Amino acid sequence: MRKSTYLSTSVQKGILFLLFLIVGYPSLLAKEYTIQEIPMVHLQDRTRYVCNPDGILSESAVVTMDSILYALEEKTGIQTLVVAVTGIAGGDCFDFAHQLGEQKGVGEKERDNGLVILLSTDERCIQFATGYGLEGVLPDAICKRIQNRYMVKYLGKDDWDTGMLEGIRAINGYLDGSMENISEEEDNTPLFIFLGVIFGSIILIIVIVSLYANQCPKCKKRHALQRISSHVVSRKYGVITSEATYICKYCGHQVTKKEQSGDPNYRGPRGGSTIFMGGGGFGRGGGGFSGGSFGGGSFGGGGAGSRF
Amino acid sequence: MKKSTMILIALVAIVAIWGVSAYNGLVKMDESVNTAWSNVENQYQRRADLIPNLVSTVKGYASHEKETLEAVLAARSKATQMTIDADNLTPEKLQEYQKAQGEIGAALGRLLAITEAYPDLKANENFKELQAQLEGTENRISVERKNFNEVARSYNTSIRTFPKTIIAGMCGFDKRPYFEAEEGANKAPEVQF
Repeated sequence: MRKSTYLSTSVQKGILFLLFLIVGYPSLLAKEYTIQEIPMVHLQDRTRYVCNPDGILSESAVVTMDSILYALEEKTGIQTLVVAVTGIAGGDCFDFAHQLGEQKGVGEKERDNGLVILLSTDERCIQFATGYGLEGVLPDAICKRIQNRYMVKYLGKDDWDTGMLEGIRAINGYLDGSMENISEEEDNTPLFIFLGVIFGSIILIIVIVSLYANQCPKCKKRHALQRISSHVVSRKYGVITSEATYICKYCGHQVTKKEQSGDPNYRGPRGGSTIFMGGGGFGRGGGGFSGGSFGGGSFGGGGAGSRF
Repeated sequence: MKKSTMILIALVAIVAIWGVSAYNGLVKMDESVNTAWSNVENQYQRRADLIPNLVSTVKGYASHEKETLEAVLAARSKATQMTIDADNLTPEKLQEYQKAQGEIGAALGRLLAITEAYPDLKANENFKELQAQLEGTENRISVERKNFNEVARSYNTSIRTFPKTIIAGMCGFDKRPYFEAEEGANKAPEVQF
């Protein structure tokens, strides 16, 4: 009798333990992010820099950090990416921060002035990764000093907000005024070149077409054809196909050509015009804020990390 | 007759143009391997430059650990004597270089291990920052080594794949060696905080 109760309690304990494992496991094991899984808030809204997918930092702390970092980028051109997550894949904080900067291309391409700040609460690490161009203004020793003096004591007590805010204020103190923002004009040059090439090629095509459009196929004289008659062949889906007859001024050769044009009276399912397809286009993102972009800076392994 | 000579000339011209652009491409890649190599050497040099300062800081607190301190300096002077010109980078030379640098790494690892026993030293601000710089340098070394391997791999692939291999063979473009993954001896010192 006694033995059986002992047995049943131990079985109960075992079941309870198993239940605890099954239910408790996912909450014990925080999500481990890979680099691709980190949401890049800066790309949706260029005034935001702090990726906080697990809500580790409070909303107000994120807003304060964003505004500090936005002002920093406006002034100096230095681009920052702050990531606060519960866990990272691989567990190597340096490597993760470095790869984040390198793969996302944080910082300007010309000056490599990107900065990545990674907080992982599971690994209990804070890691800075500085781009090549920042290694002079923010040397490893200074990164370490900022972490030791302003961050580790708060992060060690799980006070993520204060630790990160103090750290970012300190970084801002070092970087503010360290370089000038020169990117304003440079930012638009590729777009201008792109538009210039497009306009140039359109003009070239128009010139070529107009040179050869009226060429007589028989005597090869240009501007020779004159339209003498035309009639509509079909009217389908708002496209009028007509057949026009041309005669050469010089040799009297006759040519018939099929021509297509938009039907101004067509009120079909695709709208009035067939030339302009729908709306949309190349807008830089909808809504009140335009998306930002990372400049393609590269990283050489600068920065420092601390555990807490 | 006239037409066939024209076709011949056109073909020769096409081959020549291709050859020149392939050659120029290889030269560019060769140069980028050289750059990657000098970046690796720079970072190793940077580590070597940190050592005297580190040793003198540790000496202030742990002067009787003479053996370990001297071992670091000896490994440093041995490794800094060795520089390899990127153009004659052979697998043997690279291995030798890697071994010399690995000895610095091992000696530094032992040095940092003994500092654990000195709380005053560990609390020293200067030492903390030196450690941060050392750690940063080790990170840079591994980044530059990886980068060198990638650049060298793409160069080696391109000199060994078909049409370019003809140009590479004619103009003497040689295969470049890689950094091997290290075992034990060449491991970066574990820096504890």
